[in-house]
Amino acid sequence: MRVLAVARNTFREAVRDKVLYVLLLFAAAAIFGSKALGWISIGQDIKIVKDLSLAAVSVFGVLIAIFVGTNLVYKEIDKRTIYTILCRPMHRWEFILGKYAGLAALLALVTAVMAAVAAVYVVVLGGRLDVTFFQAVLLIYWQLLLITALAVLLSAVTSPILGAIIVFSTYVVGHATSIFTELPPQFDGTFSKRVLEAVYYIIPNLSNFDIRAEAANGVPVAPGYVLWAIAYGAVYTAVLLTIASLAFQDKDV
Amino acid sequence: MDAIATRNLTKVYRGHIGRGAVRSLDSLTLTIAPNEVFGFLGRNGAGKTTTIKILCSLLRATTGEAFVMGQDTRRRDTRKHIGYLPENPYFYEYLNPRETLDFYGELHGLTRAERAAEWDRLADLLDLRDIAGQRVRGFSKGMRQRLGFAVALVGNPHVLILDEPMSGLDPLGRRLIRELILLLHGQGKTIFFSSHVLGDVEQICSRVGILVKGKLTTQGRLDELLNRRVNRVEIIAAGLSEPAAAAVAARSDGVRESEQGRHFFVNDLDAANAVAADILQSGGTLVEFTPIRESLEEYFMREQETVS
Ligand SMILES: Nc1ncnc2c1ncn2[C@@H]1O[C@H](COP(=O)(O)OP(=O)(O)OP(=O)(O)O)[C@@H](O)[C@H]1O
Ligand SMILES: [Mg+2]
Repeated sequence: MRVLAVARNTFREAVRDKVLYVLLLFAAAAIFGSKALGWISIGQDIKIVKDLSLAAVSVFGVLIAIFVGTNLVYKEIDKRTIYTILCRPMHRWEFILGKYAGLAALLALVTAVMAAVAAVYVVVLGGRLDVTFFQAVLLIYWQLLLITALAVLLSAVTSPILGAIIVFSTYVVGHATSIFTELPPQFDGTFSKRVLEAVYYIIPNLSNFDIRAEAANGVPVAPGYVLWAIAYGAVYTAVLLTIASLAFQDKDV
Repeated sequence: MDAIATRNLTKVYRGHIGRGAVRSLDSLTLTIAPNEVFGFLGRNGAGKTTTIKILCSLLRATTGEAFVMGQDTRRRDTRKHIGYLPENPYFYEYLNPRETLDFYGELHGLTRAERAAEWDRLADLLDLRDIAGQRVRGFSKGMRQRLGFAVALVGNPHVLILDEPMSGLDPLGRRLIRELILLLHGQGKTIFFSSHVLGDVEQICSRVGILVKGKLTTQGRLDELLNRRVNRVEIIAAGLSEPAAAAVAARSDGVRESEQGRHFFVNDLDAANAVAADILQSGGTLVEFTPIRESLEEYFMREQETVS
């Protein structure tokens, strides 16, 4: 299958990228380093380690999605490997989907590795793992799928630098979307308020995927909520990939 | 049905800041019959690659349309019929030729068994077996071109579109490509290739088109385009006595001397034959008898001048 062929190669290529290993090393350092912060808050160290390790998985996953993702299509055009690919009897959306799926598979592996390191570390420190921890990892990955779709879209239409800036801003703002709705009263009825509200509806609300605090404190999260977050992410991702395919459809390469 | 046809194909690249739009291709109308070897000629920047990229649907034409095997090139299934070799082909550096062909076979929709058969066929045809396991990263230009050719042939398409297939190759490599093109021609394929190496074109093309600044100035059969009449004959003779030489010179249109002997130029084939007979009769030896025809290169130069 054509999508799989493209995905497989994307995965193979990304696995060879040195940036990946540098980021994984930093992630490991952050996970192990979290213990240091645990010491400061006596008796709370397991909680802190869980919280910070999950944060590390999320942040480094996003960095990999940004570094690899915003380059994906751009690099194929830049290095002209795309010529011999798009001249085949394949749809351009199949290429986009294949690039996306390859990176999504890589991120699944990377997230699993980082989460496993964090999980083992928690157990070694004498902590207990409950289902919420794994739900948190799942939602972190689901957020990465969304972020990756945005990165792939941007890699099809703009340069990696601009793409990276936009994706990173979206990640930061997406975790703080409440600032748009909790504006001070002097904004009422102003044009800026309407613009900010529009941004609020466009930018994905990434805090939907954030159940780190619950995982750290061992508070159960309803499966219904997890399912809802997954559906939310899937819809967003599908829309982004559709836009990417449409934007790429008639592009001169 | 034409193997390739374009109608008023025009491409205007959108201008960048401080630079206007560029009309790189202007109303190109071309037809290429099945099984033709068509040479697409033009200087750097004439629009050859632009045309080829439109045929392979990598670029959208600004106006006009293009057909391959009777189907619009914008349709996906049209591309089944096209084998494309880009100018300096690039492949994934970390794959070896075998993996590369497998990948393209998959994109072409071939099954695993078909891909294995394609590998056997193309590895033999392009002599890829000895480099089957090497990464493309370390490949020389000649190896890349061979692999590029193999990739273009994956799926056995009817129409081969080759963008400067011989550029950057040594004489041996060029000959290999020429022979390959003739072999494919023998198998009934249609071959469209761009070039500015006129000698190569002259040797293998049945028809050519000449593109000057985005406009097609000529298309036609090579033997019809070139004035195939002999318009000059050069005769070199030795061992002539002075008076005999003077007599022959009087009947020629030009004379020159070199260590090979005397060169006589005659502007007509029959007259030249008579002159040669005279030389032999006066006891001289014929060293050379060379009819001079217009070459594609001379034609090409003339074409460039008429436009500019
Ligand atoms: N992406 C682009 N944007 C703007 N102009 C372009 C672009 N690609 C090509 N051109 C212009 O179009 C014209 C034709 O280019 P093209 O590459 O088709 O020529 P060519 O005949 O293949 O030349 P060469 O023999 O050097 O390969 C050139 O003037 C070139 O500068
Ligand atoms: Mg070119």
